[in-house]
Amino acid sequence: MLPNYYQFYCPIKILSGQQAVSNIPFEMELLGCKKAMVVTDKGVVDAGLIDIVKAAFADSDREIGYIFDEVPPDSSNHIVNKLAELFEKEGCDCFLAVGGGSSMDTAKGADIMVSEGADDLLKVQGVENITHDLKPLIAVPTTAGTGSEVTKAAVVYNEEKNIKMLFVADKLYPSVAVVDPRMTATLPPKITAATGMDALTHAIEAYTCLQKNPIDDMFAKTAIDLIRRYLVRATESGKDKEARMGMANAALLAGIAFSNSQVGMVHSLAHGCGGVSRVPHGVANAILLPWVLEYNLDKVPEYIAEISGALGGSGEYLEPKDQAKVTISLVRNLLTRLNQICGFPTRLRDAGVTEDKLPAIAKAAINDGAHTYNPKDLTYEVALETLKKAF
Amino acid sequence: MDIDIQKGLALIRGIPNYPVMQSKVKYALLDISLSTLAAAFEEVAKRVPEFKAEIAGWNDGRRVAVGVLPRGPSITLEKRGDRINYLGKGLLSPDVSFLFKNLDSGVMVLTGLMSSHQAVAECRVLIDGDTSQAMELNRTLAIVETYLFPMIILKRIFKTPPKLSPGQLITKAKVYSALSPTFIRHMVQDLKK
Repeated sequence: MLPNYYQFYCPIKILSGQQAVSNIPFEMELLGCKKAMVVTDKGVVDAGLIDIVKAAFADSDREIGYIFDEVPPDSSNHIVNKLAELFEKEGCDCFLAVGGGSSMDTAKGADIMVSEGADDLLKVQGVENITHDLKPLIAVPTTAGTGSEVTKAAVVYNEEKNIKMLFVADKLYPSVAVVDPRMTATLPPKITAATGMDALTHAIEAYTCLQKNPIDDMFAKTAIDLIRRYLVRATESGKDKEARMGMANAALLAGIAFSNSQVGMVHSLAHGCGGVSRVPHGVANAILLPWVLEYNLDKVPEYIAEISGALGGSGEYLEPKDQAKVTISLVRNLLTRLNQICGFPTRLRDAGVTEDKLPAIAKAAINDGAHTYNPKDLTYEVALETLKKAF
Repeated sequence: MDIDIQKGLALIRGIPNYPVMQSKVKYALLDISLSTLAAAFEEVAKRVPEFKAEIAGWNDGRRVAVGVLPRGPSITLEKRGDRINYLGKGLLSPDVSFLFKNLDSGVMVLTGLMSSHQAVAECRVLIDGDTSQAMELNRTLAIVETYLFPMIILKRIFKTPPKLSPGQLITKAKVYSALSPTFIRHMVQDLKK
């Protein structure tokens, strides 16, 4: 069914496949850039992934101006300020983010400061408040889940105000996304599972939320299909290059889908779990996804039912509600399988949440913008009930 | 019949300066709708417990604005104690703003053709400021809409239409009866500035 109105925008060049990183200097040339500021974290450096990037520049006339490897798990305004200052000082003209969501967000935050001339990020937080063209950002994901390489959002923690500043703007799309299987080959099984389930949640929420549309549906369904085919394989054997490529592409496609369609209630609850109990985002999403699908079942049974094919459901005819129940059980089966492979948690209590924290998580969830796009209302009572079920 | 209506509309659209007149009418409609909304915010804040509970967590002095881009009408409200006060027309240093991208989007929401949630979902609104505060504003807006719009509209625009108890219906009647005096008081307040 078509929505009353929808928007779609994805101005990103995508390089995907073996040795994709080697093309970065050439892409910089096309963008008119000479000196890149690499934004990454210590973990990526220790895993030797920056060496792959350095090697790509070895026979090029483009150069790496500086390697900033101080990105923390949650980006903050202080780190962003420091990076913006270094960018100017080193005379760089583009950002090259190598890492997960935090590295991308840090680069986007610094880009806003450098390009928008904003001395205080607080002034431009919100939706579509960034009006200046930003410096080119080349994004190289080292996890297959967040989809940050193709999204228009960034989250930066403000240490003084103790709030998470959210920036959503078309200008925040990276210029180039580079998906190279070498960059995800060293991910441990549990993180592979968590980030893969994060991508699955992006795709399923994009497909079932209020702003679903025919263009995003194509991306979401292909992402779900790839995840069904490759997530278990990639978790079982990290060296399986085909599975790694499949998952990296699934995350990218799911990222494009949710960047336009947005997500829903799973994300609001997961953000609450992350903020209150430090549950990794992908783990929280994975645990909550089937429960939220059950909650939304009576409102959008057809949409949930349509996913079952991509998840490997049988072809026999069932009424939409029954087919939707098949989808939910397939998601649960996948979760159980991941649990068997790597001990992936299947309940919130196994992921570090204590029962006394559930009310605080519910309160945080209803103030999160993601559930605006959920087909059904998320009230405090509904949030608490769903969390108790998932606990 | 449809063709006759289309022909009639085409004739109207052909009137000289029709687009200008149309936008002026929309502007005026939105100006009145926003003033009514401001009055409704004040009156609902006085009488509705769930609204009071919702704003209990707001910091005192928080300013919120609702308006229309790029040069449309707007209002600014401020939280004081357990009340919401109308500060005046325009964007008066708000902490968070809820700005419709054009007159048409504003008309749809403020005349009850579309919910504020749906407008956000359809990217018809620009949110300026802390997004969690914007969500809080959106929830209060939903409560105000519950007491402002008739049930026939609420059933169409809400994901879950509210069920009002007899007591809440009496409160709704009280809000209705208080709207006009408050609306006029705001007009006088604006004229004095």
